[in-house]
Amino acid sequence: MKRHPMLKYLKEEGPMGPRMPLIFCPGCGSGQVLNYTLHAVDEIIGEDKIRKEQFLFISGIGCSGRITSHYLNFDSAWTIHGRALAVATGALLANPAFKIIVFTGDGDTGSIGGNHFIHACRRNIDVTILCLNNGLYGMTGGQHAPTTPIGTITTTTPYRNREAAFDLCKLAEIAGASYVARWTTAHPRQVIKSIMKGIRKKGTAFIEILSQCPVHERMLPVALLKRFKESTIRISKTEESRHGKTPIGEFCDVDRKEWNESYQEIIDQFLAVNGKAHEQIVD
Amino acid sequence: MSTQGSLKRGCKVEKNERFEIRIAGFGGQGVVTIGRILGEAFTLYEGKNSVNTQSYGPESRGGACRSEVVVSEGEIHYPNVRKADLFIAFSQVALNTYIADLREGGILLLDPSSVKDVPRRDKYQVYEVPTMEMAHNIGGVKFQNSVALGALYPLIAHMIKESSLRKAISGNVPPETVEINLRAFERGMRYAKEGKAK
Amino acid sequence: MPKKARRSEAATISPEPHFLKPGKYYLQGNQACIEGALMAGCCVYAGYPITPAVETMEYASKRFPQVGGRFIQMEDEIASACALIGSSWGGVKAMTATSGPGFSLMQEAISIAIMSETPMVIIDIQRAGPGQGYITASQQDIMQARWGHHGDGPIIALAPSSVQEMFDLTIEAFNLSERWRTPVLVMVEETVGHMWESLIVPSRDEIEVIERKKPQDLGIMPQDYLPWGHDIVAPMANWGEGYNVNFVALVHLEDGNISRYSPQANYHCVERLQNKIEGNVNQIARIETKFLEGCKHIIVCYGAVSRTAMEAIIDAREMSGLELGYVRLVTLWPFPEEKLREIIGDVDTIFVPEMNLGMMKHPITEALRDRCRKVVSIPSLGILHSPEYILSKIYEEIS
Repeated sequence: MKRHPMLKYLKEEGPMGPRMPLIFCPGCGSGQVLNYTLHAVDEIIGEDKIRKEQFLFISGIGCSGRITSHYLNFDSAWTIHGRALAVATGALLANPAFKIIVFTGDGDTGSIGGNHFIHACRRNIDVTILCLNNGLYGMTGGQHAPTTPIGTITTTTPYRNREAAFDLCKLAEIAGASYVARWTTAHPRQVIKSIMKGIRKKGTAFIEILSQCPVHERMLPVALLKRFKESTIRISKTEESRHGKTPIGEFCDVDRKEWNESYQEIIDQFLAVNGKAHEQIVD
Repeated sequence: MSTQGSLKRGCKVEKNERFEIRIAGFGGQGVVTIGRILGEAFTLYEGKNSVNTQSYGPESRGGACRSEVVVSEGEIHYPNVRKADLFIAFSQVALNTYIADLREGGILLLDPSSVKDVPRRDKYQVYEVPTMEMAHNIGGVKFQNSVALGALYPLIAHMIKESSLRKAISGNVPPETVEINLRAFERGMRYAKEGKAK
Repeated sequence: MPKKARRSEAATISPEPHFLKPGKYYLQGNQACIEGALMAGCCVYAGYPITPAVETMEYASKRFPQVGGRFIQMEDEIASACALIGSSWGGVKAMTATSGPGFSLMQEAISIAIMSETPMVIIDIQRAGPGQGYITASQQDIMQARWGHHGDGPIIALAPSSVQEMFDLTIEAFNLSERWRTPVLVMVEETVGHMWESLIVPSRDEIEVIERKKPQDLGIMPQDYLPWGHDIVAPMANWGEGYNVNFVALVHLEDGNISRYSPQANYHCVERLQNKIEGNVNQIARIETKFLEGCKHIIVCYGAVSRTAMEAIIDAREMSGLELGYVRLVTLWPFPEEKLREIIGDVDTIFVPEMNLGMMKHPITEALRDRCRKVVSIPSLGILHSPEYILSKIYEEIS
């Protein structure tokens, strides 16, 4: 049998035995997103002369968090619910050369990590955020999320969800992200292209990927993917011609100074007066 | 694990002589700055030890402000004033609050325009200096602390050099006001030396 | 999988800090800890403003870029502590400073740092609690330091009592943190944080600075590397060095594998963490003693209160001839129980003055209940005890 080309980026074996299989349920979108991401990273490594060691994958908690679990053959961190971006910020302060990809979920980003999310965008830190939006909390058993549509029945909205859903792309754009896009797991080529764009973007890139949860949505994966195709429409279409469908595509692509670039200017001032700085504190 | 400095029983315990200063008044009168200047002067330019603490929390609200400096040749343990040797009172409230902590025979420096009533005045060496008025004549009330430091200097001259105070003033006021602060310091010093402070 | 071990090329911070030159300085405690941190090689400060720790942060914002380090004001204390985890694994030493309520928010990250064995330093300029409490001096976070984080897991906490020690113990905190791969807390009272005092800075070569042990130094290749194995304190590969480390805070095996959970694996994982610190308490913890020999009564204290205690002890000897012994916990956690039992034989009363309603009194009682008649707590809230107050409580008890 032909080996999957991306297996070279996974740890099938570790010093203490096998690290596979992946934890994801059959038909879950997380495996697809991991595949797309590794394809994008593979192309970047090939084309941009960026070393594999520069890549760093960070995630929070939830199903999306498990993408960086112990089978990823990169430096990675599976951190705290909602806090992946705070950890990523710290890593970039230590080493601005990191190419950081943050895997996150809609609850991770939109709810518990909402504050970290908007501030990462505001600071325009140099990360690529991949938000797997399945509209619910999968890991804990299908509770409603800040992205669950009004009227949905979940395990914590037995009488249907009454709360409006967040549009995470709009939020990212308004908060100041340099690159914002939305796709679904049914758009592999577009997702890969967006991730490559995101990695190359100096600043915060936010890519929302609508991802299926066949277990909690109680539907076949293939039906869910079909629904993604049917329920989405290109953002280039006018509001009136969208007929309530979810817009997908690139929301914004701008160039704005990234946090470390900007901070380096302060550091450089002092490098210019090398050796003088200690005197200033005694005044 | 290291265990340090076990002393034998009955060994002589050196109690370090302390000189304790308290400054109190309203915020904006330079209470904290005086403490900082005195502390720095004693520590960096006189080779003594000093600890400076400032009022914090409830005391620093409502405009009341306090700063303390403990000076010693030896190690300073308790960092706050126990019995003040010198008390600079910039307001009647400050005086009323802290006068009880001034030791008998201690030095009390005050501005008669803001402190009118000193209970049991004969217990202390009281020096009245119109710091506010003098500062006003020099360029503004914000120089009141430098006037006060000048007036104070002859009273502590046995412990500190004039140059030490000048250096500490220069280092602790905005650069553009160094000159005028030093002038305020001199004015206060002259007033005290001329024996005008009664 | 790369077969070659390499040093991080990416780490661009190569600090050549403009260290304070050797000499005498006049600094605030909140500032001295930053100078200590820089001396220890700290490159990142991530924090959130809170009274009474703001001076530390303001000073850090000024000093860090001067030495090529980076300072960031995060969106909250949760993010600040999490950023330290990122920085530390990114290959540099990192710190923050906070106070009570902010310290509470950091507990989640502290727990994660304990489990993932992340070196980092948190300075808590304690304020009075509970709730908003007040912004005045306190030692009320002492137990939160030990038990505030979720789950088992040890902590190292130091208690400085002067501006000099804010400098010295911050360096020690970084050294302990790197040496034992664990978060280290510096528990300060507002009194010491805001105190201005002299600081003697020795020359750099007189200051011991410990760096984390790395697999590269031990010749361990990436394919053989166990991020949580090899030794009781595992060598730490940083991100960006080709070791493909999977950072986890879930129960893990030595190689970071999380899929083979068992109660035995759980026990082994957590017990090892506990033993790493508690089992080496005699190497980690320091105490200071004075006037102990033959004393019937002893004061056990820490932090700013130890200065008042010393003043009271000297007063008592001078004024009434009462001989009180002095024991100061420089290290609060791990608690040096064995050492205390070694130096305190058989006494009448142990007094524990604290700026809380009696917190360290409990481990002290646990350690010494058979060595004394009674342990007496002398609490004070919101203000440093005066020597007179401590003595009045002592006379009250023993007369």
